[in-house]
Amino acid sequence: MTTAPLQINLNGFLNELKKKFVVIDCRKNILAPKQYLFPAQETAFNFDIKKSRLKTLPPIKPFILFGLPLRDLEAITRLDEIMSRPNKNYYYFRRRSKTTIIGLTDEQFNIPPGGDLILQKLSPKDFAVMPVTAKGTVLIKKMALARPSKNIPASQYAENKTMPKLRLLLQDAEMLKDAVAWSWKNYPQIWDELAKICLGCGICAYVCPLCHCFSTEDSMDIAGKSCKRCQNWAACTLPEFSRVAGGHNFHKTLKERYYNWFYHKFARSYEEFGEPQCVACGRCQAACPARIDIEKILINITQKYKIANRA
Amino acid sequence: MQNRFSKKLKIAIYDFTDCEGCEVKLVSIKERLVHLADRFNIVNWRLGQEKIKDGPYAAAIIEGTPVTQDEIDLLRELREKSKLIISLGACASIAGIPGIMNKSERKKWYAKIYGANYKPKGIDALPLSAYVKVNHMIHGCPVDEDELVRTLEELLSGKTPRYRRYSVCLECKLAGNQCRLLHKKICFGPITQGGCKAICISGGSPCYGCFGVREEANIPALVKILRRFASEKEINNHVTMFFNQIPEYKNVFKQALKNYKK
Repeated sequence: MTTAPLQINLNGFLNELKKKFVVIDCRKNILAPKQYLFPAQETAFNFDIKKSRLKTLPPIKPFILFGLPLRDLEAITRLDEIMSRPNKNYYYFRRRSKTTIIGLTDEQFNIPPGGDLILQKLSPKDFAVMPVTAKGTVLIKKMALARPSKNIPASQYAENKTMPKLRLLLQDAEMLKDAVAWSWKNYPQIWDELAKICLGCGICAYVCPLCHCFSTEDSMDIAGKSCKRCQNWAACTLPEFSRVAGGHNFHKTLKERYYNWFYHKFARSYEEFGEPQCVACGRCQAACPARIDIEKILINITQKYKIANRA
Repeated sequence: MQNRFSKKLKIAIYDFTDCEGCEVKLVSIKERLVHLADRFNIVNWRLGQEKIKDGPYAAAIIEGTPVTQDEIDLLRELREKSKLIISLGACASIAGIPGIMNKSERKKWYAKIYGANYKPKGIDALPLSAYVKVNHMIHGCPVDEDELVRTLEELLSGKTPRYRRYSVCLECKLAGNQCRLLHKKICFGPITQGGCKAICISGGSPCYGCFGVREEANIPALVKILRRFASEKEINNHVTMFFNQIPEYKNVFKQALKNYKK
């Protein structure tokens, strides 16, 4: 790089950004930023009965997601991959292609985990600007406020204290996969216990930045003139999730359904993508009304697995 | 049941003892009601119009709780005459607010309020399902307009109306609310059927479960959580607001409260 790194004043930058673009500030959200790319209710199509024709969906206007922590940036990178296979998910990328993502962190990192631009904390007010993609570079050029940094103070990088042990476990994804898959038959006690305390409410799936299952619902408008297909967020702890036409349910009990949440994230996902579908953002644990300690469960399972499989 | 080329479905709308708030909701759907009136043949709706027609009915939509013998007789008659019985609102679906009625103290209050010679007409406040088979329940106190329209629309499309099978928690998270249970406040959201848009919780009130118990709700698990910060009496006060007369309360919830050990 020939130019000196840029730095900005956070509030000034955000105000200027808001004047020029549609900005969604994600910093205080309970739900993960996936809600803007894969909304809880997505109209797949509208069909005009009289004309016997599909109506075009309203266009998506460009928008900026602001203030994503590193793990959320990582989650969106993963979600991009999930939504690309086996075919590109039209609805997801319709929104994603209009999105500019600005990360915000006080952590240190070597390789940017995702996003278009990352703001890294230098002091409470000043942030270093790091473009990640061409989109990010273009954006920063449009902003007058960014200035070459003079004396970047020796930063005191913070450490992310959310689920540190799970973060470590995720690095050994293959072992984690084996342990979770092993636990269903070999350590059923834990799933029996969890089925007693899990409410099955589905919050863990809703708040997760990577849970991406949905169900499809068709409806007619009350005038009888058009019909609509909707894709709605689903949660694997709910009985409807695994029920098929005719009434058969593949996961009859909450025990099976709650296990499925772990199985999909940590086992099946490894088979399909080579990575668990978890970035240890901590939302599921923080939002669980039953206060289920998901990190502890996974530590427990892997420990039991290691003891049982010691040669 | 019917497609757009066939004759209009004849729908009768009745109300038993209640506040009529759910019928007001039906009126408040405005232009959507015009479409409904156009596509259904709505009859016997005391609150809405004067057209009175005898059965058979494709569906009888019934609001309120039958609390007199006359109302119970009428309900049975409607069951005979209607292909579907659809309850409108919490009173008809789960007995709701009238179901709170405390029978043990009733005599005392009759005497105190109406005098010693009063002959009571009212009997138990029970949901419609205590007397006849109910084909579908439109939940809520009052019902949610969109859910009401959705149910009627599904009837028009010839579908069997569906329940919302997720808990209130989905709509509560979408509304951006903090979890009440995590803040040690009573809430029945996780065991309650969604569709209400979490309106009470968003307004700072607990979820009392007026949308009825969600299928396969883990009631004992919720009781365990509630008992960490609320007394048995407090929980009972909340849960009997709407659940007093439903089997899930009588058979599961009460038992779980009793069985709770610290």
